[in-house]
Amino acid sequence: MLQLLQEISARASVWVELRYHVRRSKRISVRNGKLEESSTLRLAGIGVRALIDGVFGFASTTDLSEKGIARAVSAAESAARASAAAKREKMRSFPHVALASGEFAVKTHDPLDDHSLSEKLALVLRIDERIRSATKKIVSSSVAYSELQDEKIIVTSDGAAAHIIDAKPDFRVLAVAQQNGDQAMGTDSVGISGGFSDLFAGRTPEQMADNAVRIAVDQLQADYATGEKATVVLDPGLVGVLSHEAIGHTVEADLVRSGAITSGKIGTQVGSDLVTLCDSGPSQYQPHAAGELLVDDEGVKTGRTVIIDHGILRSYLHNRESAAYFGVEPTGNARAFEYSDEPLIRMRNTYIEPGTSSVEETIAGVKHGYYLQGLGGGGQADSNAEFMFGVREAHEILDGKIGRMVRGVTISGNAFEVLKSVDAVADDFSWGLGAGHCGKGQLAKVDAGGPHLRCIVTIGGRQE
Amino acid sequence: MNNEKLIDLCVDALDRTKRKGADEVEVYAESVRTITVTIEKNDLQVSRAQKEKMIGVRAMCDKRVGFASTNDPTAIDETCVDAVTLAKASPADENNLLPHPEKSDYVSGIYDPDCEGFTIDRAIEQAVKMLDIARSIDRRLILGNGEFSVHIGTRALINSKGVSWSEPESLFVYYALATARDGEEVSNMDYQFDATRNAGSIDVEPITRRACENALGSLGAKKGESFNGQVVLSPNAAQSLFASLILFQANAKNVLRGMSKWQNMRGNTVASDLISVVDDGRLPNGVGTASFDREGVAHKRLELIKNGVLTSFMHNTYTAAAMGMENTGHAAGSARSVPGIGASNFEILPGEKSKDELIAEIDKGVLVTRFSGRADPVSGDFSGVAKGGYLIEKGRISRPIRGTLIAGNAFEALKSLSGVSREQERVFSLTLPYLRLERISVTAG
Repeated sequence: MLQLLQEISARASVWVELRYHVRRSKRISVRNGKLEESSTLRLAGIGVRALIDGVFGFASTTDLSEKGIARAVSAAESAARASAAAKREKMRSFPHVALASGEFAVKTHDPLDDHSLSEKLALVLRIDERIRSATKKIVSSSVAYSELQDEKIIVTSDGAAAHIIDAKPDFRVLAVAQQNGDQAMGTDSVGISGGFSDLFAGRTPEQMADNAVRIAVDQLQADYATGEKATVVLDPGLVGVLSHEAIGHTVEADLVRSGAITSGKIGTQVGSDLVTLCDSGPSQYQPHAAGELLVDDEGVKTGRTVIIDHGILRSYLHNRESAAYFGVEPTGNARAFEYSDEPLIRMRNTYIEPGTSSVEETIAGVKHGYYLQGLGGGGQADSNAEFMFGVREAHEILDGKIGRMVRGVTISGNAFEVLKSVDAVADDFSWGLGAGHCGKGQLAKVDAGGPHLRCIVTIGGRQE
Repeated sequence: MNNEKLIDLCVDALDRTKRKGADEVEVYAESVRTITVTIEKNDLQVSRAQKEKMIGVRAMCDKRVGFASTNDPTAIDETCVDAVTLAKASPADENNLLPHPEKSDYVSGIYDPDCEGFTIDRAIEQAVKMLDIARSIDRRLILGNGEFSVHIGTRALINSKGVSWSEPESLFVYYALATARDGEEVSNMDYQFDATRNAGSIDVEPITRRACENALGSLGAKKGESFNGQVVLSPNAAQSLFASLILFQANAKNVLRGMSKWQNMRGNTVASDLISVVDDGRLPNGVGTASFDREGVAHKRLELIKNGVLTSFMHNTYTAAAMGMENTGHAAGSARSVPGIGASNFEILPGEKSKDELIAEIDKGVLVTRFSGRADPVSGDFSGVAKGGYLIEKGRISRPIRGTLIAGNAFEALKSLSGVSREQERVFSLTLPYLRLERISVTAG
């Protein structure tokens, strides 16, 4: 296929990008012992972009014959040519960059295909059963396993020739406990790039089920938090949510051009000098990050992009087009979810660099505050960095010691104000946002994380 | 791809799946060609041409079900094997059934042969026309977002009970999001949508004009007033606040999960007697019109609410069997997943008064063109900003307002509402009138 794509690209009279993508995905979900879904999906196709007079045209096809691909190339060319005649704003120059060539594969110890569909289905059913039989207080359960296995070949007129192999499984559990008409929810999840045993290297499925049950049951006994501005210690999961949702989207160059809050702020102080925030294609500090991307969907080799360096905003996240507009190097953030999607600027693995304090010191320094773990119950953030997130598990901290659990906690604020309030960054690290997807018109597998971190946020109190 | 070929593919997959050991099989296939031209920030954004053929295989073995799908013609056999493997490993459920064939006609008017020659240049022409209309109306207008797209496809479905359908369709879809900027002031963003099945009746002008005029009309908006009283919702706002709620509550899957507040309300009053809701899968020129649903059950006109009384839930084969009720032909979804439940052409039937008459009866109120906020379809609670809001005083629209918050509970508002307009507008596959609500909390922001 690589050779065929290279031949077709060589014959094109304009710049083209050919992206062959075969995806095999599996989804199994069970709710209260009943199967909600057990399915497989195999997608194969080619996405083509053509560039004429600074305007892209896009076409996709599932016809993988030489003729079929050539037809898609000419459809992309017609789209570009017709748009170029009518479009006002055109790209002035398309930058030359070193493009990826060769084989790129994520590290996998235990291939997903070595485990049968029946085995995965049995696992989901067993864990669902374990949640429901844990205690009489559990009234509802749900467990889901899903995996994506991708093979891509990316060829461009200016030299990309990359063959990419990727595998991303994830596993999620949910428990709902009830007592005297009061309900509480507990969740746990994990998502990675890698193999089946890599997925459960941190916590076994049983431990995840028990964790969700414990959170749900303990919350039934917990009092609601009271609303206040408070010093908090965020766990790596919440540090990841803050980095990705509240900061990361505001530095995607397309959103910067549409007026995100970071516009015009390169070189200025946007956070405490303890904060260094990055977005990386390869995993950093801990292997198997779920957003692992070795080559992006424009054929640019990825690396580690420092967005905020010791509190100073240094870089946005770019594709080739936005890099040309801003006069910088592309950062390898162009991603397309399926063959029929065009590459958009997306994050990969977004995180805060570990610091020097120990986790114990970080917590010990709080006189009155909260220890907050994981995202729970959703949330939202805007391009002005205002955010509101639900917290999965919250405990009070009194005189430097973790105390009782509180429930119904949300955190909100302006993410850059929160970054400025950071006064301790711990020396640990983990990824925590691997399960599920990030949505921006199309989906993307991403991850986010960091160390424990101490800062000030607004705690939302009682809410039913 | 023509009809016969797609159905041949279905027959082949069904036979293979049976041979792999399934006792019941359903095969659903969709072949679609799309052209999409998008508008962003007053300019063309991107033009796309796409082609895909998807096939979804649902296999049953002793009431156990498995599903697999692909767009890869070389992977049909593997897909059939996957469906059977998953079925055999799954727990049995007595309600896993397939529908039997029934006598029903194909709908007409959803496919226009002229669409086949529709090129990307013609689609770009339409998008450029939208941009030109906005420019010609007022230089302060910005089409922030918009789209013109063409969808030409065929759906085919067969099952081992003898159901067999195949139907071509065409659809042209266009929408515009307009704002007006006057110096530092930015107006409300207004959104308008339309669609047609026929190339000959494409007309992007009315929606573009309406979006632009609404955006211009909201310039000069100032702080409103706080009161508890009457609110008129546009069809667009009615969609956010009520259509989603009714669709969630009337979905039999949500009833089975214990998530619908209407689970024991069939035959009871859930809304004002001014409210009647139907879902008509055979509506002429409807966006959701098709002869058959995602399981091959014929579409029909179904009354969900009649004069405020809940008359039916929307069922697929599974929920109908599980609840012992009639299958209403509401299996929905693509060839990529197992059938879910959804409406086809949802409509809140028009009332007798005009929109202006509804407004004329209001001493003090607010007209809401778009709702931006939280509307929880489970609890019914809503709170958010009235976008494109207008203050109504002494029976007339007095001035545009901004930042006004409205809050309430949609279950209660549905029961106490006091007016339904005879004008209706199309919001995607939904057709909705203006609604007048009572006792809504309105807060000047």
